[in-house]
Amino acid sequence: MLIVSIATLMAAVVNAQEGPQPQSTAVPAPADAAEGAKLFGTTCGFCHQDGGRVAGRGPKLAGTDRPDEYLLNRIRLGKDGAMPAYGRAFNEAQLRSLLAYIRSLKDDAR
Amino acid sequence: MTRRRGALYLTGLAIVVFVATACSMSTSETAGGGGTAAASMTAPGGGDWTTYHGTYQSWHYSPLTEINTDNVKRMKVAWVHHPGRSTRGLQSMPLVADGVLYYTGSYSRVWALDAATGKPIWSYFPKLNDDLVAAQTHSPYTRGIALGMGKVYVGTVDGRLIALDMKTGQPAWDTKLVNSEKLTVGFTGAPLFVKDKVIIGSQGGEWPGRGPIFGVDAASGRKVWEFFTVAGTEESKKTWGGESWKTGGGGGWMAGAYDPETNTVWWGTGNPAPLYDWAGSDWKTAGPRPGDNLFTSSIIALDPDNGRLKFYHQELPHDAWDFDSAVGEFVMLDRDGKKLVVHPNKGGHVFVYDRKDASIVNVWQLAQNINFVKGVDPKTGALIGRRDLALGKHTNLCPAIAGGMSWNSGAYSPKTGLYYKIGQEWCMDLEVIKTTPVLEPQAQLDIGANFTLRNPEGGKAHGHLSGRDPVTGAKKWEVTFPEPPLASLLATGGNLVFVPDPRGMLRAYDAQTGKELWSHNNGIGHNGGIISYSAKGKQYIAVATGWGSLVGDEFGALFGEPYKSMPKDAGALVVFTLE
Repeated sequence: MLIVSIATLMAAVVNAQEGPQPQSTAVPAPADAAEGAKLFGTTCGFCHQDGGRVAGRGPKLAGTDRPDEYLLNRIRLGKDGAMPAYGRAFNEAQLRSLLAYIRSLKDDAR
Repeated sequence: MTRRRGALYLTGLAIVVFVATACSMSTSETAGGGGTAAASMTAPGGGDWTTYHGTYQSWHYSPLTEINTDNVKRMKVAWVHHPGRSTRGLQSMPLVADGVLYYTGSYSRVWALDAATGKPIWSYFPKLNDDLVAAQTHSPYTRGIALGMGKVYVGTVDGRLIALDMKTGQPAWDTKLVNSEKLTVGFTGAPLFVKDKVIIGSQGGEWPGRGPIFGVDAASGRKVWEFFTVAGTEESKKTWGGESWKTGGGGGWMAGAYDPETNTVWWGTGNPAPLYDWAGSDWKTAGPRPGDNLFTSSIIALDPDNGRLKFYHQELPHDAWDFDSAVGEFVMLDRDGKKLVVHPNKGGHVFVYDRKDASIVNVWQLAQNINFVKGVDPKTGALIGRRDLALGKHTNLCPAIAGGMSWNSGAYSPKTGLYYKIGQEWCMDLEVIKTTPVLEPQAQLDIGANFTLRNPEGGKAHGHLSGRDPVTGAKKWEVTFPEPPLASLLATGGNLVFVPDPRGMLRAYDAQTGKELWSHNNGIGHNGGIISYSAKGKQYIAVATGWGSLVGDEFGALFGEPYKSMPKDAGALVVFTLE
């Protein structure tokens, strides 16, 4: 199963490389963040509590110091037994809207 | 609301069906090939445990008395089996027939072990679509199997139902039932073996599909019928505004029960999608799914031969809180000349039905912190004072999304006449938002809110075990826990109630008084099944261990340690006997 997992991981990385290359989104476009908020509330808020502002089933996302590429890859690839892989479900625009939403969250240190 | 479909039971016909059923059970189903004694499914009486809920009566009760209140202190570990790769712990209910214990691990893996020693006899690891499994949310646990006609039946997380030879583990058939590649969901719940059919419900709930329940020919694997829990009849389609029935959720993700006297399968259904509805009090005409949304959050009665709906009761019309009816057992009892079935709802109420037509006999409240409704009418089952959630922020909704009761089962003892059940006390704050279902290229969760679990006002989140009259809810005793136990319970003829708790302690209580008599630290939380059985003349208690589920995953943030650091990729089957 380890071989399968590595193969899956590599396939996902290859897929990610074939798509639009990540760009820095330090100042996300407001429209992207709004779209990401909607998608987040549809699918991600089940685990990331209070819209990602506090820890729950999933970790707190507000104020995360993880780089953009790390977050995008985590969404694409998921984490075995903890987070689903959305690389085949969401297109690049949707992934970037989620990233923009996460970056828009204010970290009030809760 | 309770409804019956068409002209039903002629008494004579019912008797004929019952006699025919009993006769068929006493012959073909017990014959050869390691065949399961179906009599053990009909009522407790022997040392086997051959169906998910113990018997069709769903008592989760073993009549064995060797381990009892006098000697339980001498109970020790007899053997342990490590399945490996226990992602999200072991959540399954083992089964035992003729000295062999069968159980499932994560990724739909199946083992057959010598029930007295734990020695492996065979194992079966299905080849799964790993890319699909990686994309699933409610996965990769498998909560149980069914036995019958010399086979073991397991549903897979990628939407197949597989039959294995009980003696060899060799596949007899492998039938694809759910297009999981498109719908994302598959099977995690146990199938139910009835007569010559295997019945299994798809996942659903907040997943935008129609959550079918399937009847499959046990001999050949051929799909005989399919009942959609969302708009399964033309009449019910009218309870979904517009095209919302196409993405309505539903499902029947836990095993139901069977009443041989009326040849009726009872099954609980999941909540509708999206999970939260921004229409607020205008839900009958507005929002994403206007109307009652039949047959979600309902109990439904099906003919096992053809899947036709006989009658139903929707416990939560237009469920707007994720308090579905898929959870829990169907405890069948006779009282005062009435044949009853007791069914817990995730919202925290227990519904008592007449088995002839699902008419309401009583409704009683188990969880204390409930404000999604002001009450439920005990005569009609109607919700009183609904708290519908409009777009925007809401505070202190009780219970929290994890429910006043969770999916694991309680137990009933015919010796004490008490029903043992865990209640969960927690609340949450949420913000309801508008969503659009994601259907392409692969369906995704449709939640419709961001939320945060919290303590109830004036107290701390916690859980409790109580022993109650199953019909009236009158409480005889109660034990509180700092965190809600999430595993199933077991009652035994030795006057014991076993509670596998979330911190990792397996505890035994006096079934009459609630006094704790014994405990053992399994070293990791429990979130699965527990049974008792007899092998080579000795009584055993088998419990699934391992932590990590959609409810258990909340514990770290809410309760801290030991849950923050509790592994979610470990678990074992631990089996006890008297030293």
